[in-house]
Amino acid sequence: MIARRHLIAALLLAGAASNPGFAQQAPEQTAQPTAAGIRWAKEVPEIHSGAWSGPKLADGQPDIQGFWSNTISNHSNFTDPQAGPPGEPSGAAGLPRDQRAPSRVSDPADGQIPYRPEARALQEDFARNFPNPTEPQYVEPLARCAPAGVPKSFMWHGWEIRQYPGYVLLLFDSGSRIIRLDDGPHLPDGIKLWNGDSRGHWEGNTLVVSVRNNNGKALFGRYGDFMSANATVEERYIFDEDGKRFNYVATFTDPTVYTRPWTATIPSRRYTEADQPEGWHYDVQRVNGLDELRYEHRERICVENNGPFGGGAVGVPSDGPVIAR
Amino acid sequence: MPQALCGTGRALLLAAALAGSAIADARAWAQVATEVPRLADGHPDFSGVWQTLSEADYDLEPHAGRRDAPPSPGVIESGAIPYREDALAQRKHNFENRAQDDPRLKCWVLGVPRGVYYPAPFQIFQRENDLTLVHQFGHQVRTIPTNGSDHPEEEGQEFWLGDSRGRWDSDTLVVDVADFNPETWLDRSGNFHSEALHVVERWKFVDRDTIAYSATLEDPKVYTRPWTIEVLLHRRRDPGFQLIEDYCYTLEYEQFYPPHEDGQ
Repeated sequence: MIARRHLIAALLLAGAASNPGFAQQAPEQTAQPTAAGIRWAKEVPEIHSGAWSGPKLADGQPDIQGFWSNTISNHSNFTDPQAGPPGEPSGAAGLPRDQRAPSRVSDPADGQIPYRPEARALQEDFARNFPNPTEPQYVEPLARCAPAGVPKSFMWHGWEIRQYPGYVLLLFDSGSRIIRLDDGPHLPDGIKLWNGDSRGHWEGNTLVVSVRNNNGKALFGRYGDFMSANATVEERYIFDEDGKRFNYVATFTDPTVYTRPWTATIPSRRYTEADQPEGWHYDVQRVNGLDELRYEHRERICVENNGPFGGGAVGVPSDGPVIAR
Repeated sequence: MPQALCGTGRALLLAAALAGSAIADARAWAQVATEVPRLADGHPDFSGVWQTLSEADYDLEPHAGRRDAPPSPGVIESGAIPYREDALAQRKHNFENRAQDDPRLKCWVLGVPRGVYYPAPFQIFQRENDLTLVHQFGHQVRTIPTNGSDHPEEEGQEFWLGDSRGRWDSDTLVVDVADFNPETWLDRSGNFHSEALHVVERWKFVDRDTIAYSATLEDPKVYTRPWTIEVLLHRRRDPGFQLIEDYCYTLEYEQFYPPHEDGQ
């Protein structure tokens, strides 16, 4: 993905060059993102479940198709989203806590995942070793192109929703999810998957999805937060009336890892032709050959993360067959 | 009523093709054949899970059974791939090293057209302006816009799946695929292409559960002339069947991320 890196560099340069007031505003910049390009909103809007008054598709689903991305930062830090990854605190990390976006853990109220002690130790072990991994398990799986999984996919690059009778399709840069709108039985328990098995239905403005068959391997981000293969996830995608935002509200239940069920809230916003494309949240190119302005994402295939990442980690070389089928 | 005309025309064609069968049977079959699923806009609706029964992925060319391939008369219209003389050495090298070098063995993206006739299911999701192909094998999702758009304006783009642009020729979906990278193979036997590959696919219902798929490949760096692959794709109708993610490239490292079966 050399082209993408060049594009990002060009965007950053263009941004700096087109903002002559940048230097004068330096004092105000101290609380701004150190990871340029990541959205940095401090507020999580309240969106309530209720009726849907927006546009609908022919099959009755609310029409929420298009490009979406998170608004409060990426997967570097699940519970203090704008403080940066382990070993690389952001510029905002030194500010009082209430000047950064809240924890993605919306319940319990302390913003912490209610780990059992032995599970907390595993998470802390990963976080401690993330900046300078000396064992393969300390390399974040996403850095090896593994699917980002549930819920990390909603905190990474921008992504796309496509809808069909009976289905909602989520296309991420690493992995994709097919949500079946039939509330039928899940796959047999023994099948464990990076993205789990999703069954759902619409309740007004809310897409309600039950996720089973999780393999518990994807991790929630660079601090090593996790669920196990026993976890069940109940997701609610709550869309606001004008279809410009939604909150992903998911309850994680896993008695082998947590002392009680807990809930994550991850805000997202929509990107349309009114937005300028950029390399992280709205990584699109203009469609060629049409009179009107339309954008598309040309290919979602992870090849860029195979190399070192995460403060010096070394990827696993693919030097031989992985399968025999 | 162009659809009705078209349907009648095809029914006649089918009836003619069935000369020798009982006329009543031919009529019944033709009627079934014309009742293919359609979107609201009248175009055929290929939504569903599809898979080939062919041996195409083992070796596109005619071959006897061997240790790593069942026998097959081949799926190439003209019998063999018209390789250029200077491409044969690479072809031979690939065949001899296929047990190690086939990109499929690392679960890499199979590309186009191989992903279509690889013996694993893929699901087509279709809207008026595009088709989305989600392949079970690996992380391969391909979009075929049918919105009148063209390939990227920039020259020399290289995509694993190429860049697909579709249009309707009556009831046939014709897809022009360009801007490939040279990393993918065409089958397990090492048939290959360069980044100059250009593919034209044709997708057409034979009946509601069968698609006639063809891909014409042109690549002046590797072949002396265009040549065509033809396979049938069958709808997976097994009760309760669904795609199950198969990100098999993660098998190499998933051991490092403990299952935490008991939170330990």
